[in-house]
Amino acid sequence: MRALVWVLAAAAVAALAIVPFTLSPVMVQFGISMLLFAVLAQGWNIIGGFTGYASFGNSVFFGLGTYGTAVAMVQFHLSFALGLVIGAAVAVAFAVLIGLPVLRLRGHYFAITTLALSEAVAAIISNLDIAGRNQGLILPLIRGDTMFYELSLGLMVLATLTVLWLARSRFGFGLIAIREREDAAEVMGIPTTRYKVMAFALAALFSALAGGIQAYYLTFIDPASAFDLSLNVRMIIMAVFGGAGTVLGPVIGAFLLSGVSEVLASYITGVASLFFGLVIIAAVLFTPKGVIDAARRLPRRGLAYFLDAVRETRL
Amino acid sequence: MLVLQVLTNGILLGGLYAVVALGLALVWGVLDIINLAHGAFIMLGGYLTYYLFTGLGLDPFASLPLVMLAMFVLGYLIQWGLLNFLVRAPMFNMLLVTFGIDVVLTYLAQIMFSADLRTIRPAYAGSNFTVGGVTVPWTNLLAFVVALLLTGLLALFLQRQRWGRAIRATAQNLGAARLHGVPPRFAYALTFGIGAALAGGAGTLYGMVAQLTPYVGVPLTAKSFAIAIIGGLDNPLGVIVGGLVLGLAEAFGSLWLGPTYRDAVSLGLLVLVLIVRPTGILGRAS
Amino acid sequence: MSGRDAGERTVLFEARHVTRRFGGLVAVSDVSYRHNQGEILGLIGPNGAGKTTLINLISGTLEPTGGELLFEGRPLKGMAPYRRAHLGIGRTFQLMKPFPGLSVLDNVTAGALFGRQPELAMAKARDLAAHWLEFVGLGEKASQPADALGGPDRKRLELAKALALQPRLLLLDEVMAGLNAVEIDEVVALIQRIRDGGTTILVIEHVVKAIRKLSDRLLVLQYGQLIAEGTAESVLEDPAVIEAYLGRRRG
Repeated sequence: MRALVWVLAAAAVAALAIVPFTLSPVMVQFGISMLLFAVLAQGWNIIGGFTGYASFGNSVFFGLGTYGTAVAMVQFHLSFALGLVIGAAVAVAFAVLIGLPVLRLRGHYFAITTLALSEAVAAIISNLDIAGRNQGLILPLIRGDTMFYELSLGLMVLATLTVLWLARSRFGFGLIAIREREDAAEVMGIPTTRYKVMAFALAALFSALAGGIQAYYLTFIDPASAFDLSLNVRMIIMAVFGGAGTVLGPVIGAFLLSGVSEVLASYITGVASLFFGLVIIAAVLFTPKGVIDAARRLPRRGLAYFLDAVRETRL
Repeated sequence: MLVLQVLTNGILLGGLYAVVALGLALVWGVLDIINLAHGAFIMLGGYLTYYLFTGLGLDPFASLPLVMLAMFVLGYLIQWGLLNFLVRAPMFNMLLVTFGIDVVLTYLAQIMFSADLRTIRPAYAGSNFTVGGVTVPWTNLLAFVVALLLTGLLALFLQRQRWGRAIRATAQNLGAARLHGVPPRFAYALTFGIGAALAGGAGTLYGMVAQLTPYVGVPLTAKSFAIAIIGGLDNPLGVIVGGLVLGLAEAFGSLWLGPTYRDAVSLGLLVLVLIVRPTGILGRAS
Repeated sequence: MSGRDAGERTVLFEARHVTRRFGGLVAVSDVSYRHNQGEILGLIGPNGAGKTTLINLISGTLEPTGGELLFEGRPLKGMAPYRRAHLGIGRTFQLMKPFPGLSVLDNVTAGALFGRQPELAMAKARDLAAHWLEFVGLGEKASQPADALGGPDRKRLELAKALALQPRLLLLDEVMAGLNAVEIDEVVALIQRIRDGGTTILVIEHVVKAIRKLSDRLLVLQYGQLIAEGTAESVLEDPAVIEAYLGRRRG
């Protein structure tokens, strides 16, 4: 059964890899966005799903990755690869620096602090000359949707393999223990502070790499799009809808919800966003444990599954 | 003189900010729910006032009770029919659903009211008086007074009224609310309804001193957090302190660093308070 | 650097004038005692006497505001709880704290992975965890979710989690509260077997019969102060202890 899942996963990756050579350019563009969202959802999964720290500000890492890469390429004329490394390094350094004070906060306070941090960094960057202030930066134009697509796919696979490793390693076990009960984890010998910061840095790494790819792919960035707050909600809803704390859940959630958004967006934008709001509400209400859990139990429980899900969390 | 004017502006802004945050702080403190749709409620209250004024010619201050009543009903129904089903779910589920409500309300507003800028401008808008070289706009002063009044009324309600005490008991634990003869589901809906009513009232005042678009919600929610955090959740009067701190910080931040740094100042302040003293400036030490 | 007590018994742990204040309240006040290797020390006292605070100070959840704690002669000051666990200080919680979403086995595996022993492979850690579950009598419930366990089984799980660290000093905070007479006898036997395995144990307990049976020596706390120390017989006869402890509980 388990082996079957991984064979299927490998086949899915192979199928995804040939998309640029078989499907239309529009599908490739959609694919890039979908894959980058899957990376963001996996990044959130590490800190939110495994470690239990519901960050509402991972967009700050995405934004720093975006700007790190763009500034390196535009202002210092470095290569894209070097830009990616610099963007990731900036985001990871920021995660470590800010993680020490911020990861002492719990629950709502942690969520809100991360949210505010993202906004604060956006506000600072929109005042920096080197980052192009409010106008943003324009990167060198490159025609290479296939390259960006394969790069995004590779990053998504890497992120998922990292989460798979987490699910089976001592480090990941420690993170789960922190999520379940931090004070008990600490007296059992788990270096909670170091582990939390490492998880935060890992989440930052993947989010920043996704940001770097996005920057070069779109060739234009500005603070509003790089630090878009709704990005946080999107990555969280994808991870939660798919199954927070699972290996494949965030990817499945990202694929499903990207698909829904794309279909809805073919109508008028206002209506599409409205429907996305309704989808969020319905998804959280009826599948609070994610689609993986639902898929596993739905056949046996039938529609009673949804009613039970609601009953379980009702006041 | 400039400093005095900026001080006045900051204080007037702070009073408005206090009432902007009041509903969010109440719902957060009592129900432990952070309502990400709070700003959207304010936006709705603003539009309601706008249409009562342009459609029926109702003075904004006179429409305040009507707007609050309508928003109370909306809030009550949202908690009773939707959020009550999520109370025992993980914390971020509630955040996600209230964000979903925010999205729905924002884009409903965009479809129904269009994205055009609106301002509520009664005849007396723009008139002001001068004291010792400091200009005070009447609307802002009146909004400031009403804001303080609403905050005071809420504090009184929580202290004195039977339901108010039941709400405060709910903040302690659900069993205590039952002891006050108020079923928890009702206490939750009541509290959320009052939070929405206060947001609606804030919307009326906000619409008179600032421009309305369907998108003002999210920044207002963010500011409300900042104010609730700075003031602490223990006491409704904390939001006055939080509102004044934020109002003054933004006013002087704009003066000294330039207006583009205004948001950075308020958010930086928020992060600082969260890290140094998460229970707020006035709050009890944890 | 292991200290010798008059050349006779090895002292594993020592508290020297340990004090902990919370604002104006002194929860633990100038407490000094030595805990010998292989000894079961009983810690009794009325509610609010500072017993759990003392355990929190030893395990590192709290830092003393005065005095010092020595483990094998080595000061524990400023050492994070997880490092104390690596040294071999394990504890249970009075309000049991299992990892609710994990299986019973995984709860204990966490201890095996991060305890005193060098890093283990996952499979090895699981084996070790299964061993400790058998030891406390939870072997058959290994695959159940931890939050599905009943009260007595939760107490056993707390014990197994702490044992999986392979502690040298085990701090037990009311592991018998809420158990019936038969279950208490079982846990007493269990604790004796743990000691026979070479572990030094500090037990907080309200069940006098059990603590009399278990302890080599008793410590009595009242208002944060150590008011008596000695064998169970002598301490429980001490009028001051009867007055402070038993008198107050009945009154």
